[in-house]
Amino acid sequence: MTHSILKLANGRRRHQLLPTDLLMAQCDSINSVRALRQHLQTAVELEHSTIPPYLCALYSINAESNEFAYRTIQGVVMEEMLHMILAANILNAIGGEPSINSPQFIPEYPTYLPHSNNAFLVSLQKFSPDCMDVFLKIEHPAPQSAPPEAHHYATIGQFYSAIKRALCHLDQVTPGGIFTGDYSRQVRPEHYYGGGGKLVAIRHLDDAILAINEIIGQGEGINGSIVDTDHELFGEQIEYAHYFKYMEIFHQRRYQPTDSAQLPPSGAPVAVDWNAVADMQTNPKMSDYNKGSELWQKTYEFNYCYMQLLKQLHLACNGEPEVIMQAVPVMYELKYKAIELMQMPTASGKRAGPSFEYVAI
Amino acid sequence: MTFPIEADFSESVFLTNDDCEQTMTPQAQHPYDVVIVGSGIAGAVLAKTLTQAGKTVLMLEAGLEAGMALDPELAYQNYQRYLQTFYSKANKATNGPYPDIKDAESPDVLEIQAKTPYDTGYLVQMGPLPFASDCLRAAGGTTLHWLGNVPRMLPNDFRMKTLYGQGVDWPLSYDDLMPYYAMAENEIGVSGDVDAQVGPDMGRANYGAHYVFPMQKIPQSFQDQVWMKHTQNLSVSLDGIRYEIQCVSMPQGRNSVPNPLYHLGNVEWNEAEKKLVLPVVKSPYQVVASIWSPYTGERCEGNASCVPICPVQAKYNAFKTLKKSDFGKLEIRTQAVASELMIAPDGKEIAGIVYKKYVQGDAPQYHTEVARGKIYVLAASALENAKLLLASNVANSSDQVGRNLMDHLVLLTWGLFPEKVFPYRGPGCTTYIPTFRDGEFRKDFAAWISPLDNWGWSWPTFAPATDVSNALAKNIFGKKLRQTINDLVTRQALLHFECEQTPEPENRMTIDPKYKDQLDNYRPVIHYDASAYMRKSFKAAKQVSDQIFAANKIQDFTEYNPAEPDFVNWEGRGYTFRGAGHIVGTHRMGNDPATSVVKPSQQTWDHPNLYLVGCGNMPTLGTSNPTLTMTALSFMAAENILQQLG
Repeated sequence: MTHSILKLANGRRRHQLLPTDLLMAQCDSINSVRALRQHLQTAVELEHSTIPPYLCALYSINAESNEFAYRTIQGVVMEEMLHMILAANILNAIGGEPSINSPQFIPEYPTYLPHSNNAFLVSLQKFSPDCMDVFLKIEHPAPQSAPPEAHHYATIGQFYSAIKRALCHLDQVTPGGIFTGDYSRQVRPEHYYGGGGKLVAIRHLDDAILAINEIIGQGEGINGSIVDTDHELFGEQIEYAHYFKYMEIFHQRRYQPTDSAQLPPSGAPVAVDWNAVADMQTNPKMSDYNKGSELWQKTYEFNYCYMQLLKQLHLACNGEPEVIMQAVPVMYELKYKAIELMQMPTASGKRAGPSFEYVAI
Repeated sequence: MTFPIEADFSESVFLTNDDCEQTMTPQAQHPYDVVIVGSGIAGAVLAKTLTQAGKTVLMLEAGLEAGMALDPELAYQNYQRYLQTFYSKANKATNGPYPDIKDAESPDVLEIQAKTPYDTGYLVQMGPLPFASDCLRAAGGTTLHWLGNVPRMLPNDFRMKTLYGQGVDWPLSYDDLMPYYAMAENEIGVSGDVDAQVGPDMGRANYGAHYVFPMQKIPQSFQDQVWMKHTQNLSVSLDGIRYEIQCVSMPQGRNSVPNPLYHLGNVEWNEAEKKLVLPVVKSPYQVVASIWSPYTGERCEGNASCVPICPVQAKYNAFKTLKKSDFGKLEIRTQAVASELMIAPDGKEIAGIVYKKYVQGDAPQYHTEVARGKIYVLAASALENAKLLLASNVANSSDQVGRNLMDHLVLLTWGLFPEKVFPYRGPGCTTYIPTFRDGEFRKDFAAWISPLDNWGWSWPTFAPATDVSNALAKNIFGKKLRQTINDLVTRQALLHFECEQTPEPENRMTIDPKYKDQLDNYRPVIHYDASAYMRKSFKAAKQVSDQIFAANKIQDFTEYNPAEPDFVNWEGRGYTFRGAGHIVGTHRMGNDPATSVVKPSQQTWDHPNLYLVGCGNMPTLGTSNPTLTMTALSFMAAENILQQLG
């Protein structure tokens, strides 16, 4: 499947999926269902690890003074949530059990992307050019020559390509296939909504490939080779990948239909106000504050709320998919608590912020 | 005082207009197939259906240009402005978030006064009682602030004269309207449980054997569960007759989980059969999200601010329909206030619609243009449609234009639950009592529907703001204040009786040259009263309320104050009713040109190329919120117009 275009009911073209056949270098490291399950658990963790940094940037700006950036980052966060559930669905489909509420699930920021080549650190920080620079690294597309990479990947696309290959290979060589998971454990489209595209319930290999293509397509987007074709990559009707959306914020310009994917956008300027931002301190921790102080208490309450959300997601991905609907009001609560923290001054002169740390509930 | 800066009645206005060159047909006389006045739900259904069937349409909208933004970027920005206005206003009344402009004023429920006559607002209230409902003159119409309850009317509602000796019969039966109800429910995107719709003259048969709504029901609120514990199957007595109260889930025009059993697609014009059809499709129902993003509003999130504004547009609005139009065939002109219909020399055909194009919403400058098409459709609300007809002396050989103005007269009762029920969780209404929607009593007093309201005492007492000020007046503050509010607001119960007003010729809208607006257009002059039939239903409703409150151990705090607008007496007791915002009946349909304005086809009796759509066509109101029925009628009108255009 190449160059597929998903068409939404409202007539907008969503985005273009990656060609499935990235160059096939040797990738023999995911050689058992057990290893594949571990990698899919990592994929769930990887998708999740981007959400706290994106949320910090999002909540440090407000929708009025930075409308473009706000809407862009908000859209990306929702797609990351979708990716996380998609990865969990694939894991469930091959008989795994996603773990979303363990203490190890949340990275300690600053962190490298889970299982990556540790090329850059990701922090919880306010919206800024530095922050956008990191976001661009997270979403950077794989060059066409990049091989699938199960360990120490440079780009997320390489990691998923390795998983995709393993899914195909193991499904072929395993008698009866590997898609033996209980279908009732799938989070289905009727449970999940508002989250950046269509959720796919996974019954077999084709569904899993579609889901992974969706993840890679939304994240890094088109692969370099398409750039050489006369395919239109940019324009109002095309909802393009995270990397290019972030390029637009970073360069404060929109892409136009004639732009190349390898060059910065050259279209109409967009207003980005780097100063209308809550001056949140980078990588806040509960231990920064005296236990029992208001700052500590508010930070704790935020984390408690966050753990509730993770618990709901955990239950939803472990046999109770309908629980995911209850997560919506909790997400709102999380937002209100984060914004409240970002209005509270700390001893450093900066503002407090959400610390996204594990607390027992 | 007006300052026309241009007055051009020539057709050259249109022939030189670059915007419409691509879409207009070569016939100079009729550049458009259809001219529609108004972009609310009725106008939007017409525009979408007609353009999708290949017809060219010009739509005139009186509201501001900014409000018509359909581009995602601009639509988002405009809607955020509405939201900011809503958040910043102390009083959260129905039209609060939306621009109130002098060149196209809207009625305002905050202006209603107890003593008539007065003319301080848009409506000139001649009384004896003030008319207490509003609508919105803006792009998207009143669907911007509507609640979104969409129960169907009952079969017996269409035969009030025959069955109960009240009002008139409709020229259509429920069965005639049934297929169009399905179209309306498809278009609005109704969430609900068909099997739950049980009550007097209600049941599965009203929907057909396998019919389901596009989406599953909105979960009934926690508060409703508490109500139902002691109200479901409760036996109450009224005039010596016993009734068993039922509580059922309310069908709603807001998004929920798609029903996998629903397999009807977009309404289509079938050229061969010359009718509109709802095709059976394989794909599941696609939820229509907000107009600015497919990621927002895919489900109701339980914000309780549906009236006046849904923050995420999970609630249906007319833009969702309008956006599906074929924009190669649709031109929309905003800030264009229709002011007069021109009649051809033959006295029959409508020759054009004069409209005033203003420059800024509050400034008096405008210029005059004429819109021309083969067929004209007024979809500007029951008040504005009637106003235009009266101002033009058109379609009124029956003398029925403006008469039979109706609304649901709302009696509210309120009290305190013994336990916390937590109102404001979820949309405005998720459950209703259908028990008094139909019965022999309709010979004697008005039927009603009873929504279980989810808004505490906000409607009758402006709680919780007044709860805070009352507590402060008692010198309660700090922690004690929080406790007081927490105890009070969480226990507030509100019950709601929407009584069906019957058509009365003297309840009417007229015009008077003394009362005009800034653009020299007429303002509606209202004559209005509540008949004995209505007042009797207030007494009956209060008796039912007392029994329901007693069963739920609700302490009654209901108070009807003689100083309030629409305070009326009946048999020695006083009742205050409120408007439901259901403005109906001003150009009713019928089988007799002597007593009705439009035919069952919704074509006017007097002018073969003039159709009226909207709630003004309804001969009687029933006990349903009228939007669903009006939308069904609008599809029917679209079909008739397509047949006429050939």
